[in-house]
Amino acid sequence: MRAPNDDATPRRPLIMRILVRRAAYRHPRAYGGACLAAGLWVFVLGVILCSYGFWWGALLIAVGALELWVAYHLLVAPLPRRVRELEQTRARAVDDSAARLRRIERDLHDGAQAQMVAVAMKLGLATKRLGGMIDGTGQTDLERVLELVVAAHRGAKEAITELRNLARGIHPPVLDQGLGIALTTLAARGDLPVKLDIDLPERPSAAIETIAYFCAAELLTNVTKHSGARHARLEAAHVPGLLRVRVSDDGCGGARIEERGGLAGLAERIRTVDGRLQVSSPPGGPTAVTIELPSHA
Amino acid sequence: MRIVIAEDSAVMRAGLAEILADSDHQVVAAVGNADDLLAAVDQHRPDAAVVDVRMPPGYTDEGLRAAIAIRRDHPKTGVLVFSQYIETRYAADLLGAASGGGAAGVGYLLKDRVADVEEFVEALSRVAAGGTALDPEVVTQLLGASRRSDGLGTLTAREREVLALMAEGRSNAAIARILVVSERSVEKHVGNIFSKLGLPPSDADHRRVLAVLRYLES
Repeated sequence: MRAPNDDATPRRPLIMRILVRRAAYRHPRAYGGACLAAGLWVFVLGVILCSYGFWWGALLIAVGALELWVAYHLLVAPLPRRVRELEQTRARAVDDSAARLRRIERDLHDGAQAQMVAVAMKLGLATKRLGGMIDGTGQTDLERVLELVVAAHRGAKEAITELRNLARGIHPPVLDQGLGIALTTLAARGDLPVKLDIDLPERPSAAIETIAYFCAAELLTNVTKHSGARHARLEAAHVPGLLRVRVSDDGCGGARIEERGGLAGLAERIRTVDGRLQVSSPPGGPTAVTIELPSHA
Repeated sequence: MRIVIAEDSAVMRAGLAEILADSDHQVVAAVGNADDLLAAVDQHRPDAAVVDVRMPPGYTDEGLRAAIAIRRDHPKTGVLVFSQYIETRYAADLLGAASGGGAAGVGYLLKDRVADVEEFVEALSRVAAGGTALDPEVVTQLLGASRRSDGLGTLTAREREVLALMAEGRSNAAIARILVVSERSVEKHVGNIFSKLGLPPSDADHRRVLAVLRYLES
């Protein structure tokens, strides 16, 4: 599947479709630049020849003008559309990071924060009891106090675990050592056997590594949660300019990009850096999700 | 006291129930959202409700709105609102609703305060009895946010301490105990504060708080 905003490619003028190969549109700056340079030379040469009385110089002028026109269509005409696209992806990136922060706040609020208040409550109760025992005003009930302290101790340990998981969810420290090591750790941590195939001779930029890592993490979680697969495979390859990560499984298939679904969320995050997400998941499986990201955001 | 608890976190709910039971109060219902809270209050007519501000489904201020509704519909039920953060705005809304009903019976505390069991239970009793309990944090924010520093500027350090405790909803006797002074001297400080801020003196605790807050917010 192509990223949705690719579908909206505007209709090209007929003459452009005849003159320019589709490939030119993938690298508009290279092709457009060449057309511009060649067009200028041919045009100027034509004008000079005409001024010396060679009538066929007019042909060169016409060819040069055509090349300049093509260059215009490749370089200048797409700019408003590109600006609109960038505005949209920037807005999505801002929304995405705001949503992330909100989620972290919620996790803290409902998790470790609540847990620690409960711990403090239990210790408060225990203190009250012990105080009563020492003053001789309360009844001696050491077992109850022990129970409270044990519960508080357990709660504190749970809060520590929650905080650790949350911190890792914000930025896994292992990512600092490189995407390859981080993905290896990720694959080893899950319940499902994951076959790894990593070929990362050079490191992409940090932002790209982070996006790739979290996408891989979410995709592997999806495999465990939804596919019923017995094996998964995680591939990551970096060629100059492009990082490709692929998660596949032998599960039940039927994964789709749905509005507000997990995959749509991933696709949005990937699009903020001009990347692409492709899903191949026929009913009955197998499923393969491929992510392509530029090396540098 | 008969108490209803509304708190969406199960851990906190259990902890609160434990604390209240330990202090010989009766928890008649413990619920996890605002609608259930209103239903429980309708059914049990408790002396007090302990209400978390953020609850499902929206996780914004459902609890606060329910608290205001309870104060409107059930004047005999005191409402102690608590949350992980203090929003001065919420305190103002709550006290505004309370003064409209003619009685206070509201409190607003940080969840952390629950850890000091006796103080928390005392604050809840105060609220159930129609008094006020404001978190020291709220008072600090209100004191800090006050634009009318001219009047406050004339207060002595001790008078400011007394004002802060008054704003929390403490009685003169409680203030005397906390500051380790005689009740007589607290009365004198309170008189001085009222005259310096140009407020008419009054006996009722909650009215003092409302007067002080109204002054601080203006």
